[in-house]
Amino acid sequence: MPASAFSARVQLCQLPAGATGRVCQLTGDESFCQRVREMGFGEAALVTKISGTTTSLCLVNGTRIALNHRAAMSIMVETLPALPAGKAE
Amino acid sequence: MKLPSHITPSARRRTGPASDRSPVYAMVGNPNCGKTTLFNALTGLRQKVGNYPGVTVEKKIGTAWSQHGKPIQVIDLPGAYSLAARSPDEAVLRDVLFGRREDTPQPDRIICVVDAANLERNLYLVHQVLDLGRPVIIALNMMDMAAAAGMKVDAAELEGALGIPVVACEAVHGKGLVELRLAMSRAELPLARHSWDVPVAVAPAVAELQASLTDHDGRPPLIARAEALLLLTDFDTVRVAGSKPLSGRTHGILDHWRRRWEGEGADWAAALIRSRYEAIGPLCRQAVVRTREQGPSRSDRIDAVLCHSVWGWVVFGAIMAALFFSIFSLAEAPMNFIDGRVAAFGSWVKDAMLAGPLRDLLTDGIIGGVGSVIIFLPQILILFFFVGLLESTGYMARAAFIMDRPMSKVGLNGRSFIPLLGSYACAIPGIMATRTIENAKDRLVTILVAPLMSCSARLPVYLLMIATLLPGDTVPAGRKAGIMVLMYALGTLGVFSFAWVFKRTLFKGAPPHMIMELPPYQPPRFMEITRHMAERGWLFLKNAGTIILAISIVLWFLSTYPKLPNPDATKTEQIAHSFAGQAGHLLEPVIKPLGFDWRIGIGLITSFAAREVFVNSMGVIFGIENAEDDNVPLRDAFRRATWPGGAPLFTPLVCLSLMVYYVFAMQCMSTVAVVKRETNSWRWPLFQIGYMTGTAWLACFILYQIGRAFGY
Repeated sequence: MPASAFSARVQLCQLPAGATGRVCQLTGDESFCQRVREMGFGEAALVTKISGTTTSLCLVNGTRIALNHRAAMSIMVETLPALPAGKAE
Repeated sequence: MKLPSHITPSARRRTGPASDRSPVYAMVGNPNCGKTTLFNALTGLRQKVGNYPGVTVEKKIGTAWSQHGKPIQVIDLPGAYSLAARSPDEAVLRDVLFGRREDTPQPDRIICVVDAANLERNLYLVHQVLDLGRPVIIALNMMDMAAAAGMKVDAAELEGALGIPVVACEAVHGKGLVELRLAMSRAELPLARHSWDVPVAVAPAVAELQASLTDHDGRPPLIARAEALLLLTDFDTVRVAGSKPLSGRTHGILDHWRRRWEGEGADWAAALIRSRYEAIGPLCRQAVVRTREQGPSRSDRIDAVLCHSVWGWVVFGAIMAALFFSIFSLAEAPMNFIDGRVAAFGSWVKDAMLAGPLRDLLTDGIIGGVGSVIIFLPQILILFFFVGLLESTGYMARAAFIMDRPMSKVGLNGRSFIPLLGSYACAIPGIMATRTIENAKDRLVTILVAPLMSCSARLPVYLLMIATLLPGDTVPAGRKAGIMVLMYALGTLGVFSFAWVFKRTLFKGAPPHMIMELPPYQPPRFMEITRHMAERGWLFLKNAGTIILAISIVLWFLSTYPKLPNPDATKTEQIAHSFAGQAGHLLEPVIKPLGFDWRIGIGLITSFAAREVFVNSMGVIFGIENAEDDNVPLRDAFRRATWPGGAPLFTPLVCLSLMVYYVFAMQCMSTVAVVKRETNSWRWPLFQIGYMTGTAWLACFILYQIGRAFGY
């Protein structure tokens, strides 16, 4: 993915529904960050937001993951241009 | 840098159990990957399964049979994403694998159950398990779900790459079980030949910690290495090492490396996880072929409605309304049938026996007491049918998702809602389900408030009071259901209010993070649901036939003796003179401000054993009072009951007050015992009894006194 393809860095909770982003930084406490990484949601993972602002529903590696607002605020993503359905994995 | 060859050997080696005894297998895997379904299929047991993460929170042991007819012990363990345990249920998995549990043999071999549709993430745990140096079989489960998601997972390819048996299976359909049994029956299993590179900067730390754990903490070498890797992934030593403190030497090494990495500004803990995923990536690329690009799945389309910020709440409300309405509308006919049969049986016994204490014991004590409880069996079954539907379809996790927002207002998160929702059926599994909550304070708050959710044991009390309050079959079911909903809502409001108070006083802390997997929707498994209903129904009847029967007999005795010398005394005077009556009169000054008399007081005391015992106690006491008049339903006996001055006892206000008392009061010995076990202290169950029963008294006092002031 060329660097120009990335746009703004936003918190996951701010990613609009339907948009895809790449995780670029985890800012929560250490234990949370490690758990997120262990679940394959770490830096460089592609995430597609399905719905939600307060509680977010996302698709990561084909798995639907629910995150509360605090968790979604702790995950910084770089937004990617829209991908065809299924490509987010 | 390669790890020592004895850890992840490059050459194929074969191992068998140390002696001639049959090997012990542990079954491990991510949450909700079908471990317990597979365990049940292998052992013939019927452990609870459900389509949401965290159904299994404790180990279960069963016996499978090899192809040669030899017994094989299988241990089903709670699901975990990693050996770096962060919640009590995950700690069970780690401790059993590390041989730290005195009550469980250390497994000789490990079956890693892997969700084929989520191969990459599932292989992370497998990768950690391979570090333990034990023979591993991979059960590649849910192959049908992977195919539905447009993936073809090649088990042979994975087996070739890892060098260990990989069996494709669909536990839910019984596919692949023969092959898995064959693999388990092998006398020797190869060790994995897969190896991975620990980052160069981390390898000396691993080696140093491993040596210290072996020399100073008495860990076997392979366990020491796995533990060293965990300590470097999670610096919380108590979380990794358990309650047994690490030696000063190991602490010193860990502190040294932590400070050094902090000084370098390097996050090697994260790098360790990344390096595992870097090793897993090529395996997945080898084994998984995408057969087609997948658009939005069926689950995505359903989630678009059920997780919608508006429609999600509408559906949630509709499900709850359907549940409560069904309890009244569907259960009426079977309930009347049971009621009629119990009454007819009581009459038959009365006619067949000579008058005397034995006949009174059978009709007033046993049939009256037990019969008054078992007529609520249909409602209990309907409640468990709905709970089973929610659990098997995958809606349970969605309910937690929807409830996250209100839960966050009181300082908890949606994950706490799954134990709370389970507590609608029974607080005991609900409290055990809190083991999935990572934060200790949040877990304790959830345990403390869970018994406020109206469980199935309250159902008989509510139903009896509603029948007294709204007599006759002409009252629409919707009105009765409305009062029931009000009681459930009051309990839920209590949960939120007390959680809010506790999170701001006793258990202050930042709102917790929540990250939770939502499983794909699945059609309801009616066989499982029916079996679970039958189990719960049988448990209810068993309680009625044992505990409630015993209490009925004791209560009949206490309500009948000592006899009044005056043979012309009324039944009410006789009960008032009895042991139970004397105890009730002692309690009456405390409960009179709530509108309750001494007879209700007896019910309150006896129902501390279990809430439904209240109905049984009332059945015995009012059965004795109305002994001359056959077949008086309890609700009619209630309507006849009066205070000494002639005023009716069970006014609508008293019926409501009694229901409110049972919404809040901690009337369940089994729950007290489970809270003691889960918190490892008497402090919290005693606190729970105090705050819940105190709240019950206060709420009833306010309700009754205000109601009286308004002339009710």
